[in-house]
This record gives sequence, structure tokens and C-alpha cells, in this order.
Amino acid sequence: MAGPTINALEQFSLTPGLGGLGKAIDFSNSNEAMLAAAAIITLIFGAGLKARALVPGRAQALVELLYEFVRNMCVDTIGEEGLRFFPLVFTIFAFILIGNLIGLFPYFFAFTSHIAVTLALALFVFLFSTGVGFYTHGFKFFTFFVPSGVPGWLLPLLVPIEIISYLSRPVSLSVRLFANMTAGHVMWEVFAGFMLLLTASFGIFGAFASVVPLGLNVALAALELLVAGLQAYVFAILTCLYLHDAVHMH
Amino acid sequence: MKDGRDNAAFEARLEAAEQAAKAERPETAQKQAGSAQRAIELAMRLGVEMVAAMVIAVVIGWGLDKLFHTKPWFMILMVPVGLVAGVRNLLRAMG
Amino acid sequence: MRGLTTAVLLGILPSAALAEGTMPQMDFSNPLTLDQVGWMAVIMVGLYLVLSRWGLPQIGKVIENRADVIAKDLAAARAAKIEADTAVAQLNAALVAARAAAQGEVARAVAEAKAKATADAAALNAQLDARLAAAETQIEAARASALAAIKPVAAEAAGAILLKLTGSLPGEDVLAPNLDAALLARSGG
Repeated sequence: MAGPTINALEQFSLTPGLGGLGKAIDFSNSNEAMLAAAAIITLIFGAGLKARALVPGRAQALVELLYEFVRNMCVDTIGEEGLRFFPLVFTIFAFILIGNLIGLFPYFFAFTSHIAVTLALALFVFLFSTGVGFYTHGFKFFTFFVPSGVPGWLLPLLVPIEIISYLSRPVSLSVRLFANMTAGHVMWEVFAGFMLLLTASFGIFGAFASVVPLGLNVALAALELLVAGLQAYVFAILTCLYLHDAVHMH
Repeated sequence: MKDGRDNAAFEARLEAAEQAAKAERPETAQKQAGSAQRAIELAMRLGVEMVAAMVIAVVIGWGLDKLFHTKPWFMILMVPVGLVAGVRNLLRAMG
Repeated sequence: MRGLTTAVLLGILPSAALAEGTMPQMDFSNPLTLDQVGWMAVIMVGLYLVLSRWGLPQIGKVIENRADVIAKDLAAARAAKIEADTAVAQLNAALVAARAAAQGEVARAVAEAKAKATADAAALNAQLDARLAAAETQIEAARASALAAIKPVAAEAAGAILLKLTGSLPGEDVLAPNLDAALLARSGG
């Protein structure tokens, strides 16, 4: 391939962040983005809590909207007990949402497009919900893997299926987020690469023709904005769902 | 009396305001469970649920083979089990 | 089912774009790949503490406060309404009572006036009757005295007339009864 190209995957490569300090403590550009996400969330809360008005301003309305949204999600999915897990679910939701969103900006690292990150999050959710299950039900939680109303001779077949289904949760949870975020960012770079290729190959005509991939990228930006919110929502609602299973066992 | 209609209107408004203040939560909750939202939520889960169950099943099979030196039988046995588990995941996601 | 097909399509789309090149995400020989998870844990614990200890309770307090204010306002409106309603009811009751009292007063005054009028009329009648009776007795007395006064004159006149006619004077005992009968016939009517 002649001319300049873009390596669509280079954007995901990790480099030490924070200058020399990052090299010493293995603090990567991904962690910088995480720190930025946490800082943004804190700043949004600070802005939203400045007025504490009866009739909320813009920042306060945003924070209250997020609060009510996640709270309702917890209560609707888990039940009233869900309020215990509300801060945790909110933290996960806000962290992923802001992470996804700032990942869409140029020069910002999309840490949710790293399988190590999403798998760690998913494993935490998985282990936590399993822990909650055993904490609430003791060893009776094992009966979660025994489907009710099934003849006994089928159980040796069904129990492994249930266990595998259960164990696949962290995998599907993490791969979904990782794949969606990665695919969006890769496609952006691929279309941008098209633009470079067109211009290099066909000169001025190519430059005009690259309006098409540019338009696609604009449309993709809108889609990615949607996906960023949706994936954070799906991750959070599945977290709630798993916690529901752990608390109610069905 | 002349103030009868005004009185009734005020009564109705007060009642409505009280209802709204009380029922704020369930109303928004119901709005959330739109069918379009459920379809998109489902879309985000479908493909992955299937693959994830498969991956887990094969990994377990591989581990058992390693443990009992029965390569490759457990892995082969686990493939259909993983498939069924994937379908089970899908059904659960839709239900 | 149409929802399901769109769902399947949307689900497959991202996974199709993944199969190319070596991904930095899978490069586990780079220590940063796993170390970022450690730092993420630190950052998320920090964020969790900030949100659960400060951010979320504060927002919850603000929202709860608003719900309280709304509930209080509604209760105040309800109370004011009840108060107004009772005031209106009281006013109506007072009006009704006042009207009834006024009507009673009027009726009593009318009855009193009527009674006084009848009493006055009766008194007047009695007075008139008394005066009438007095007049009658006076008239009677006057007539009697007049009769009594006329008797000697009549007797003298009758004696004189008889003397001239007969030349003799009749005895007193003959003259008196005839005289009485004549007078009685004149005045009796």
C-alpha cells in the first residue's frame, strides 16, 4: 500500500503516562484517562452540588438525572434491597459512561476498549454478585444451578449447562463492552485511513472524494455517542440483574 | 353558589399535585421499560452471550483434559454443552 | 420477532470488525496491560469512596429535601383549603342564623304592635262605652229632673185652667194622678 496509512490499532497501545513518574510506577496513558474520568465525575458532582437549589440549574439537573436514573435502575431490577448496592452500581456506571465518552475525544485514551480493563470490571461484578449470593443464602446458593421442575435424570446434563451459563457472565459482560468500543474506534481510523489513501492516490479529486468517508465518520460519531451511553447502561443493568439473581436466586 | 366551579377546579388541581408528588418514582420507572429500549438492550447482548458460553465450555473442557490426561475428549464433550448453555443465555436474555 | 433480527444484526456488527492485525489489547507481554488494572482498582476505590461518602448522599439529600418541600407545600395548600372551607361554612351558618334572628325579631315586633293596637282599641272602646253610659245617665237624670221640675208648674197651670173653666179648684188628690199619667204619656214615647 503506497502513501501514508493509519494503523487503526495503534490508538490502543499503552504508553507510560505522567511523564517520567508514570514509567517508574507503571502508570499508563490508560490510567490517565481513568483518572480524568474520575476527576470529571467528581467535578460534575461538585458543580451539581454548588447551588443545591429547589429548582435545579443545569449542572444540578444533570447530576440529579443521573442519580435518579441509576437509583430507579437499582430499585426496579434488584428490588428495594438494591439500594444497598446503589453507590457501587453508580460508580461503575459513571466510570464506564464517562470513560466511553472521553474516549471519543481526540487524544483521549478509550480505556474501555481494553479487554483487561473490561474483564477486570466484569470479574469484579461477577465475584461480587456471587459473594453476595453466598452471603445471603449460604450454601443454599448452589441450588441456583439446579433448575426447578425438571426430572432428576436430566440434572447431570442441566447442571453443567447452568454452571457454564453462569460462568460465561463475566466473559460476555466484558467482551461486549470491549468489542463495541474497540470496533467503533477502529472503524473511525479505517475511514480516516481511506481519506488519506484517496488523497494520496488521486490528488485533488481524491481529496474531494474523501468527503464520503468523512461523512461516514460524522455519522459514526453520532452512533458512537449512542453506543457509549448504551454500553454503560447495559453494563450497569446487567450488574443489577446479576445482583438480583444473587439476592433473589431466580 | 358562585364560587362552586372555581372551588372544584382548585380541588382537582390540588389532588393532581398530590398524586404527582406521591407517584413520581413508579411513573418514571415505567417509562424506562420501553420496548424499543429492551430491543436495543437485547441486541447488545445477543452475539456475545452465545460466544461467551462456548468459550467457557471449551476452556473447562480443556482444563479437565489437562487434569485427567484425556485429551481431547472433555473438550469435544463440552462443545455441545457450551452450545446449549449459549442458547440458555439467549433465552434468559430475552425472557 | 423483527426486534430479534435487528438485535442479531446489531450484535454481529461489532465482532465483524475485530479480525485484523495484532491488537495492543492482547499484548500481555507489555506490563502496562495488566498494571493498568491495578491502577484502575485504586482509582475506582477512590471514586467509590468519593461518591458513596459525599456525592450521592448529598444529591439524595437535595432530592429528598425537594420532595419534603413539595409535600409540605401541598399539605399547607390542603390545610388552607380546609380552613377556607370551614370559614365559608361558618360564614354561611352565621348568615343563616342572623337571617333567622332578624326574622324572629320582625315577627315579634309585628306581634307586639298588633297586641298593643288591639289593647289600645279595647281601651278606647271601654272609655267610649263609659262615656256613653255616663252621658246616658246624665241625660236620664236631666230628664228626670226636668220632669220633676215640670210637675208643679203643670199642676199650677192645670189648677189655674180648671179654675177658669169650672170655677172650682179640684182636690190635690184628684189632680195629681191625672197629671202624672199625662206627663208620662208625653215623655214616654
